[in-house]
Amino acid sequence: MKRVVVERKILQRNDEAADIIRKRLAEKGIFALNFMSSPGAGKTSVIEKTINALKNSFRISFIDGDLETDRDAERIRKLGVDVVQINTSGACHLDANMVLKALDKLSLECDLLIIENVGNLVCPASFDVGADKNIVILSVPEGDDKVKKYPVMFNVADVVLINKTDLYGLLEFDREKVISEIREIKPDAEIFEVSCKTSAGFDAWLEYLRGIVPKEIL
Amino acid sequence: MHEGAIAQSILDILKQVAEDNGMARITRVRLKIGKLSGVMIDALMFALDALKYEEGLISDALFEVTETQIRARCALCNTEYTFDDATDMVLLCRQCHMPLEVTAGREMEIIDVEGE
Repeated sequence: MKRVVVERKILQRNDEAADIIRKRLAEKGIFALNFMSSPGAGKTSVIEKTINALKNSFRISFIDGDLETDRDAERIRKLGVDVVQINTSGACHLDANMVLKALDKLSLECDLLIIENVGNLVCPASFDVGADKNIVILSVPEGDDKVKKYPVMFNVADVVLINKTDLYGLLEFDREKVISEIREIKPDAEIFEVSCKTSAGFDAWLEYLRGIVPKEIL
Repeated sequence: MHEGAIAQSILDILKQVAEDNGMARITRVRLKIGKLSGVMIDALMFALDALKYEEGLISDALFEVTETQIRARCALCNTEYTFDDATDMVLLCRQCHMPLEVTAGREMEIIDVEGE
């Protein structure tokens, strides 16, 4: 019988791949966003609207993670940006190795890389994919109890977008409670309240992005 | 259930440890999992049990998990806070109202391995 002290991180290989991604993107001056939410919260719609608004200011690439189909990738490809689809075939999250492989398929002649993670408010939170900012979307129809139910996800958020705010007032959703619970779990997260339908709140979100994405074509 | 992927990562490391140390069978593995890691222990155990059927190396292995509490500290007044659960976590200093820095709770580690 032998005892070996290991003291290794279980996700060490994922973290190493995430570091390689960060290094490669930094060398190219690319800023990366990782969008996470439950299915149907509006990730693709927010990304679509964001790309439409920013595509004349930034060169944008897109990595789409989905269990099956390339429906989201097709929606974004129509906007004229470089798109790679990752089908995780069952895996409930993207990991850094999947993203690293996807990077090889992109030209990487861009300023902004948008990663759309698999729709899931649990699993993607545990995997660093090498992005500069984690954007977590919570939509009004999901209910105002989600922040405390999924604290790990909201704790990794750099930005929380509360989406479908056109439904405020129509559904039971205590926005003050949601905002104060986000503040408890991630005090320095930026919070934006947006609606893809009415465009409300998008100006502030886009202004924030213009401020943090370093390179802009003049 | 990402615990399947976590279990697979554990197995990959165990294979390496076994190879490096000339072990044919692993009998005991101690893991440290933080309460802010997003890992559900029961789901992880279920996933590890499933792998035991596939991998002779760990078929008799006993997996022991130490769960670590969430700890956070105020950078301004140095007060330490401990939370039993991620849901109860309030990462604002009660005195300074400053954001707290999480110092423990995100761990996902293999502490040590026994085998022969």
